Amino acid sequence: MNKTTESDMITNDEVVRFSHVTKKYQLYKDDKKRLLGMLFGARIPHKTKVASNDLSFSIKRGESVAFLGRNGAGKSTLLKIITGVVFPTSGEAFINGRVSALLELTAGFDGEFTGRENIYLRAHLMGLEKKQIKAAEKDIVEFAELDEYIDQPVRTYSSGMKARLGFAINVSINPEILVVDEALSVGDMKFQEKCRVRLSEIMKKDHVTVLLVTHSIGSAKSFCNRGIVLKNGSIIFDGNINDAAEAYKESNN
Amino acid sequence: MFEILKEHLSFRKQLVQLARADVARQHKGAALGWLWELVKPTIMITVYWFAFTYGIRNGGDVMGHPFALFLVVGIVPWFYMSSMLTGGASAIRKYKYLVTKMKFPVSTIPTFVNVSRLITHLAMMAIVLIILLFNGYQFDIYILQFPLYVILMFFFFNAWSLFSSVIVSFSKDFMNLIKSTTRVLFWISGILYSVDEIHVEWIRDVLRINPITFFVEGYRNTFLYGRWFFEDWKALIVFAIVMVVMIVTSVLVYHKLRKQLVDVL
Repeated sequence: MNKTTESDMITNDEVVRFSHVTKKYQLYKDDKKRLLGMLFGARIPHKTKVASNDLSFSIKRGESVAFLGRNGAGKSTLLKIITGVVFPTSGEAFINGRVSALLELTAGFDGEFTGRENIYLRAHLMGLEKKQIKAAEKDIVEFAELDEYIDQPVRTYSSGMKARLGFAINVSINPEILVVDEALSVGDMKFQEKCRVRLSEIMKKDHVTVLLVTHSIGSAKSFCNRGIVLKNGSIIFDGNINDAAEAYKESNN
Repeated sequence: MFEILKEHLSFRKQLVQLARADVARQHKGAALGWLWELVKPTIMITVYWFAFTYGIRNGGDVMGHPFALFLVVGIVPWFYMSSMLTGGASAIRKYKYLVTKMKFPVSTIPTFVNVSRLITHLAMMAIVLIILLFNGYQFDIYILQFPLYVILMFFFFNAWSLFSSVIVSFSKDFMNLIKSTTRVLFWISGILYSVDEIHVEWIRDVLRINPITFFVEGYRNTFLYGRWFFEDWKALIVFAIVMVVMIVTSVLVYHKLRKQLVDVL
């Protein structure tokens, strides 16, 4: 198992702890160079892109943190490290609890299966028992507003339908850490409002830790009390959300 | 090695679900569905049988057994092995979203894909048994070694799948290489003929290094010849060595490249 599941370095009320996490991507000129790079390592010429640069922070249970930053600031890489998809090049990331990620809501469905079958598949992968899924199933279908489409193959869905289903599944499987990546812009105004209400609900009720990535300072302020501002892969501000919003505005100028 | 076993153990429930989903997935959108798994091999077997009985061999027996039966017993395990050779190699690419979109024990991807194919294989072997019974062959004690061969085959090609699906994720060149090699392997693995019938000794010995030959011969030992797996102890030792090399290679490659997979897919 990788280091992200170890809990001996992390105290009980912490859910995320980054210690000097750096992620570098090796960019090769083409596929041929990449293949050679895999075989012969660093001798093959390539560019190195530092997506996360020496990040250290810790997030406590029940906190809600907004990650602010311009395109390319390293927000997505950071979230992917938290979800355990991407591994740090150096440093260590400790995660404590079940992470449910709303990264690219439309991805991760099997197009050949119906919406309902995908609910089961996804929930099984998250380690839920059949009973638990059955209990959540009706709620998911209702929340996603798919009606009879729930028994049609997902490949026939529009992107909005997929996103709604993705959101519904992820908020319904009792996550402990919920990662939300621009997901609040799904569907029409009414659905967006519904998502907001549901998010605040589970934050209050289940003490879910919410990590929100957004460009919208408005939704960051309404959900989060802490903000982390990123620029070129480094943290330039970490603190109260209002101050973070100011720092973010300033960094854009 | 330890890490891979641990991943499998902690994920065994999901493995079963994913294998089931993989079986279901292959037959979605086809009206005949599961029947295709039987139609396709039946067509292949009929064509080979026709070509070799009426065309090339003049219908002679092989090792004292009718060619049709000799062929069926050898080619059915080949179908499974070739599906693990190519399908196993593309497993991670096929299930890319499990690597790039969620935290997932990647080493289990080839496993559930191969488990899904194993179900088809066992169904086909049941049919082969029925065919043998109809032709007057009796069940005997040698059938006890069938599970052994199935398990060894599964483990060997699962190690292969882990190794190959990781490197195929890095470059599609490997996939093309595997696909074209598979065709060669079909002809040199003693599926359409018996390796024992080759008169040049060194060719025979070289062909025997190939684990596919080991399994094809193994199935024939079990169902036709009535021979134990340890009777040809030389072949057994050679296979054991190849198996260890395969497992060590796959574990090393997986360990070295696993964390970079998500960056290249």
